[in-house]
Amino acid sequence: MTAVTTPAIPGLETTTSDEPTKRSRSLNWRHIGLAAILIVPNMILLGLFTYRPLIDNFRISFYNWNISSPDMRFVGLGNYIEWFTDDTSWQIARNTLIFTLVAVIGSMALGLALALLLDQHLRARNMVRTMVFAPYVISGAAIGVAFQFVFDPGYGLVQDVLGRLGLDTPAFYQHSGWALFMITTTYVWKNLGYTFVIYLAALQGRRSDLDEAAEIDGTPAWRKFWRVTLPQLKGTTFFLSVTVLLNSFQVFDIIQVMTEGGPFGTGTSTLIYQVYQETFVNNRAGYGAAVATIMFLIVLVVTLVQVKLQDKQD
Amino acid sequence: MATTRRSLLGMAGAGSAALALAACAGGSTSAGGGGGGKGEEGDGSIQFWSNHPGSSKDLEQKIIDAWNKDNPDNQAKLIDGGASYEELGQKFNAALAGGGLPDLIVASDVTWFNFAFTGTTTAMDDLWKEAEVDSDDFVDTLREDYEYDGKHYGMPYSRSTTLMYFNTEVMKKAGLPTDKGPETWEQFAEWAPKILDANGGKPAIVIPDGSDYLDWFFQGIIWTFGGNYSKEWTPTFTEQGSIDAATFLQEQVAAGHIGIEKDAANAFSIGNSSGLLQSTGSLGGLKESAEFDFHTTYLPGPTPGACTGGAGIAIPEGISDERKVMAMKFADFLTSTQNTITFSQATGYMPVRKSAMEDAEETKYLEENPNAMTAIRQLSENTAPQDYARVFVSGGGQRIGAGLDRIAIAQEDVATVMKDLQDETQKVIDRDITPNL
Repeated sequence: MTAVTTPAIPGLETTTSDEPTKRSRSLNWRHIGLAAILIVPNMILLGLFTYRPLIDNFRISFYNWNISSPDMRFVGLGNYIEWFTDDTSWQIARNTLIFTLVAVIGSMALGLALALLLDQHLRARNMVRTMVFAPYVISGAAIGVAFQFVFDPGYGLVQDVLGRLGLDTPAFYQHSGWALFMITTTYVWKNLGYTFVIYLAALQGRRSDLDEAAEIDGTPAWRKFWRVTLPQLKGTTFFLSVTVLLNSFQVFDIIQVMTEGGPFGTGTSTLIYQVYQETFVNNRAGYGAAVATIMFLIVLVVTLVQVKLQDKQD
Repeated sequence: MATTRRSLLGMAGAGSAALALAACAGGSTSAGGGGGGKGEEGDGSIQFWSNHPGSSKDLEQKIIDAWNKDNPDNQAKLIDGGASYEELGQKFNAALAGGGLPDLIVASDVTWFNFAFTGTTTAMDDLWKEAEVDSDDFVDTLREDYEYDGKHYGMPYSRSTTLMYFNTEVMKKAGLPTDKGPETWEQFAEWAPKILDANGGKPAIVIPDGSDYLDWFFQGIIWTFGGNYSKEWTPTFTEQGSIDAATFLQEQVAAGHIGIEKDAANAFSIGNSSGLLQSTGSLGGLKESAEFDFHTTYLPGPTPGACTGGAGIAIPEGISDERKVMAMKFADFLTSTQNTITFSQATGYMPVRKSAMEDAEETKYLEENPNAMTAIRQLSENTAPQDYARVFVSGGGQRIGAGLDRIAIAQEDVATVMKDLQDETQKVIDRDITPNL
């Protein structure tokens, strides 16, 4: 039999034959070696900087540990029991749920609306696209500082606009509900650019023949959007729902800058903010690790449920 | 199982969650190594971590430049430690876990004790002798604030007390004194309607909210009503004096006499209130920002009606002995008579050295700037050290601040909130303090 050379990778030609030969075995090892060179460094980095801290975090969650201290005391499930039996935890979980839901739905709905608008042939649309995307690349801390001025009840932009309309300004910093509204709005504004760009790319890649067919059939615009455009964006919507949800769970900078988790201590605290608060303010690194683990499990379950639901739909 | 794009996204989601958790883990990677490595050597320079209290970054750099000129072999570096005392404390905690300890840090009234308690900052008494520092020259009250278990774990640097600031013109218009404040908080309640009338109904004073140290400002108020946050390690939020003080605060806010603001100093400086309860450290900034004449007064009594605050210098336990001695020499220079005079005049913080207070230049300055003199006189006449529940119990300041926000802003039932504070503080003491005392 004659061996056939397949030039799959330049310099790493493989051979095929009816029976394995010494040459093909050695080439297989070369394949494995190349794979190892490409994969192992990443695995080492992932192991060192993601999975080792993850395991360490899980271990620490069973201890009472003042972060400044070299000593730790084993408390078993004590930190977890404390979290589940503390009323504050449920308020924080509620804040996290509201913030995440509004952030995901708000930024995706507005991002899609803007993408649909700016997918049209409008004047200066490239400039507007850039303006919509720009906040996404600005740091959350900087946006938090800027929006403090927007919402300031004494001299802020919102106060000025409402004042001109003869309306009172809500006490954004002194009412838990308004404070949560404030940070959620700020985050949606910042995140809008991300959902907008992804939706815009998806819209530009959709099948134009379907749109044309719908137009020829005289399908009303709303029906066309609902029955023709939106189904084509299903994959993108799923992708965004996962990524925006994960990002929303991890928002810290805006909360820290604008409200420090308050008012009243936990008015705008989310799970990730509680991790920071317990670990670095209350010096309870063990308890903070337990909250981080709980958050991890929630995110994991939510993501897996999303994947399963999507699979079922398909 | 076949790998699809969707399952890949699911795995990416899980990976991302894991990354978030890993990030949350913070300093946990070397749990048990909180000492930061005994005898850690540095890079040869003296690393001073500061949050630049009183917007003093340029001034601190000038002082460091002067040190570097005289000490070419022991250069000092000013390192940004964060925007607040709390951020600086967090950065230090990260260094304790991960290494790279500084030579000295600014440690606030609420952070120094935890570091001393956990053995991560060093006792200074022996270092004072070794570096030939005259510790008796520090103002006694300020030096003794850092005493724990018979040793000192800090030395005073940017020390402050609470002050009342009044818009002089408004007080004149209200027919009230401009050379002193109200004698008691009851008298303040009598003055307040006149002040409101004289300034279009704007609050007589504003106080920062719980996110900006309301708990510190309220401490003097609670004392004048016979209450405390705690007596040593026993919380006393539910004692009658404490309840009365909190009720007074709630009533005065409801009456519009006291305003609670996120940025109280700004509200005062732009004319949104007639008075302000703030730190002495705000004096320098207000002189720049307020476009009207104002005067400072003691906080109402009976004595003591104000507490000390601000920050000192601490030295990590985990660095080498040579570094400690050199750090102490630098700290001595940082707080030398001349540097203390320069620093206190620029920022409004109190002079921490007796020799600085007695210096002819400082005496002349204080005569010409009576607002700065108020804090110094108040220190000896109307001030006491803070309650353990605020400064020694982890998270104490934020916990009490949040409770006071509930009382003052949300107007919740005083007894319920004070009971919550009592229980929460006791729980932390039982869990974190008592087993280690």
